[in-house]
Amino acid sequence: MGFLVPLFFTALAVLGVPVLIHMIQRQRTEIIEFPSLMFVRKIPFHSLRRQRVRHLLLLLLRCAALALLIAAFARPFFRSAVLVAVTGGSREVVILVDRSYSMGYGNRWERARDAARDVVRDLAPDDQATIIFFDSGAQSGARSTRDRASLLAAIDTAELGAGTTRYGPALQLAQGIFEDSDQPRLEAFLITDFQRIGVDSAANTLLPPGTVLTAVSVADEDETPNVSVSGASVQRDFFSSRERAAVTVRLANRGNETVERQVALELNGQEFESLPVTVEANSSATLTFAPFTLEDMAMPVSVRAVADALPHDDVFHFTVAPGDIVPVLVVGGAGAADANRYLRTALAPGSSPSFSVTVRSVDQVTTADVAAARVVVLNDVGLPSGQVGAAVRRFVEAGGGLWVVLGENVRWPADNLDLLPGTFGEPADRDGRGGTLVFVDYSHPVFEVFSAPRSGDLTTPRFFRYRPLNVGPETAVLAKFDDGAAALAEHAVGEGRVLIWTSTIDNFWNDFALKVVYPPFVHKVVEYLAAYTSPTAYLTAGQVLDLAQYPGAVDLDVVGGNLVVRDPSDDRVAVGRDGRTGFIDLTEQGFYEIRDTDAADSASVVVAVNVDLAESNLERVDPQELVAAATGRAAGDRSVTTQRELEPEDLERDQTLWWYLLIGALGFLASETVVSNRLSRTELDADE
Amino acid sequence: MPTVSTVSPGARFIDPQILARIGNLELVARWVVEGFINGLHKAPYLGVSIDFAEHRGYMPGDDIRRVDWRLYARTDRFYVKQFEADTNTNFSVLFDVSKSMSFGSRGVTKLDYGRFLAACLCYLSTKQRDRVGIVTFDDDIVERVPPSAKHFDVTMHTLDRMDPGRPGALGPPLYKATEFFKRRSMLAIISDFYDEPEKILDAVKPLRFAGSDVIMFHVLDPAEVDFPYDDSSSFQDLETGRKVPVVPDKLREQYRELVQDHIQALTALCSQNRIDYAFLNTKAPLDLALFKYLAKRHKMTKVR
Repeated sequence: MGFLVPLFFTALAVLGVPVLIHMIQRQRTEIIEFPSLMFVRKIPFHSLRRQRVRHLLLLLLRCAALALLIAAFARPFFRSAVLVAVTGGSREVVILVDRSYSMGYGNRWERARDAARDVVRDLAPDDQATIIFFDSGAQSGARSTRDRASLLAAIDTAELGAGTTRYGPALQLAQGIFEDSDQPRLEAFLITDFQRIGVDSAANTLLPPGTVLTAVSVADEDETPNVSVSGASVQRDFFSSRERAAVTVRLANRGNETVERQVALELNGQEFESLPVTVEANSSATLTFAPFTLEDMAMPVSVRAVADALPHDDVFHFTVAPGDIVPVLVVGGAGAADANRYLRTALAPGSSPSFSVTVRSVDQVTTADVAAARVVVLNDVGLPSGQVGAAVRRFVEAGGGLWVVLGENVRWPADNLDLLPGTFGEPADRDGRGGTLVFVDYSHPVFEVFSAPRSGDLTTPRFFRYRPLNVGPETAVLAKFDDGAAALAEHAVGEGRVLIWTSTIDNFWNDFALKVVYPPFVHKVVEYLAAYTSPTAYLTAGQVLDLAQYPGAVDLDVVGGNLVVRDPSDDRVAVGRDGRTGFIDLTEQGFYEIRDTDAADSASVVVAVNVDLAESNLERVDPQELVAAATGRAAGDRSVTTQRELEPEDLERDQTLWWYLLIGALGFLASETVVSNRLSRTELDADE
Repeated sequence: MPTVSTVSPGARFIDPQILARIGNLELVARWVVEGFINGLHKAPYLGVSIDFAEHRGYMPGDDIRRVDWRLYARTDRFYVKQFEADTNTNFSVLFDVSKSMSFGSRGVTKLDYGRFLAACLCYLSTKQRDRVGIVTFDDDIVERVPPSAKHFDVTMHTLDRMDPGRPGALGPPLYKATEFFKRRSMLAIISDFYDEPEKILDAVKPLRFAGSDVIMFHVLDPAEVDFPYDDSSSFQDLETGRKVPVVPDKLREQYRELVQDHIQALTALCSQNRIDYAFLNTKAPLDLALFKYLAKRHKMTKVR
């Protein structure tokens, strides 16, 4: 008979402690100082008679129960012949090699590959091995192979990635390999710099029981100073009617010493300016470059600091596009220029986007005006008749935005009523101080900007007249007056959107146009109708680019075109070659250029990709901590982590003798309860 | 490196016990504050006043909500409003130095934790060019440093030599302190708030009514929140010296409920009175607590 954890028997010594306490008759009252007893209730302190051992049977029962409990915790088992049956044998080996970009720090990557080669060379002839390279994802070559040459070739050809460290996917892949294996011994080698940021991903991964996980750290024992370019922002202005941009870059120093760096700004791959910067220890600094004039298309911009031990985070790529302009066509009544003044003025400021407003009277507007717009505003006029009305309808059905403002002069043609969310009646007046907006759907993109505290009060405008709108229950009413009438309603027509505002947008029927919330309201309505999304300056390595959803690629024929992407390594690959039309895996840091080779005058789309800066934080985790998390066993015990032939564990698990001991202990405790109750009753009777 | 864990990219959070080993308060404040600002895209702001200060010309990129629409009507030019926070404000710490603040179950006392917190807030305020000062109190005002742009060192010195020794009370010293803050200020009260919630608010409200922006930092030790004691013992009140025999096992759950009720009552009352309230457990990394609070405050006030 043996015990899995014989150390627990030292706890038998504690059996003497209660006896001693009984015998030495010392009643100690420890005094604990506590800040305030405000919450503490008074509870009497019971003293007990402890002069002598009065009930030997009780003491014996209690000691026996404790002894059995201790024996149960020691996990006893019987040795048998089965013990030697499965010892030794060939191994299933999985080599996990970290290829995240932090492995580019110094010579970590070379050391990791050397360590992997050593593991391959140490394989026995019957051992099977798989090599997994991982960063935020995990990839393996041939599974469970005995071909050492192919394993070594995989190591030789492996390249450093641009992703972040995540141990979870790699360990899950290893887990699957082990579960499919019929080898008696399972062993994994984790070769990494043990960055703390990757640990959370491994929280729910547990390798099969008996797996030996060996941690091979290539992290530097000394301090790891690192300066990274942690971001850039662009300030725009106009000079001589040309749009200019000035780039401000932020650098973070995670080391304990002040460093000086030369930082260069590159435009279209050419150095534009280079400036020195000093970054104090554990601090950050900003640097602003001279402004440059923007081109007609998105311009690739890079900020590059002189490389340190980790070069990946010393460069930051992004694109700067000229401020995109939303063309807005405002159609008003003939001779009613004043009615459009507030709207035109409110749309004048703004840079992302800016608005190009064209004002036409209803008798002058042409189909060309409609075609050139992204948003059409019918300000106190009905739908124009004839070809222009038909053009507006086609415009909306094709995805355009229409804002209908119901003033006094609006008469809507009966054959186009389906463009509106409902029918409207004659103007209704409000008495006294007028009505207010009481319901606003703050979750809608138009009003979301007003949802935070102190971000604009929409209840201040007073409405003296509006046109009642009869809408069905399925219509989205975005704002209502205090009498329940709709103020703003939305209606979808084809691919486009129609918003209807039931009062005026000048100061004729209300004073909304005089309030500070008016300009942001008008901006948001037009942005929403134009389906405007701000341009994406950069994406992060590891993301998948969906060209169909990417705002910068609207001019590309994603489905029918022959799209070719040139990646940062200058390799040209056909988009959709892997069967995923319009999707590009962004695996590298730098600029991806996408072009449609079928289109004669195809302009290329440039997408900037940066590494995830979380990886720049080189803080380490204790390797044994990760080993313990992945194997479920205490770390640091080589006898446990290196030998699967620890058969006592398996034997003990099969026999589970400790259960019987535990039941025995419970039996003694139950007996103790019965005996002590009887004794108490006897004593009470005697006292009475 | 004495870093413990990383919860958000770019930020590192430091165990208060490590801070306790550093003697120089200014160094602690600098380390903590620079640490959590380091790597973030945008620094959080402490003093964001709603006092209007001035107009400036509209620049592309400015928030449209800040455009002064009425001024446009008069001048035919676009201007945006700037607020007092863009210049500076008065910032004062009101620090409870009663005897109960000297309690600490894990090496860091509440006083130490509050001291680091106050140092960080003052450092952050100084960086924003705010004027900083401090008032320490127990059952009376102990020491006072009026807010000034030149008082950062004096404030640090006062923080450094605080010595808790007497029983505390919030009412009398805070009533007196109201007299010190005639000008609108930002006031951070650091205390363990051992009193009935209504009485606490009665003591704090006069500061709020005087126009100041008040933040209550409620600092408690984990032992005061969890009551982790096992053995029957005699508990002695640090301030009154009174002893009470206690069987913790029987009391623990009820005690925890009472503490949580106390915190919730304070949260609700502060919210009703437009006073900011932050509960801080001394086992939590100081910069994490500070960062979360400032980020919340910044989010609430970034648009006016």
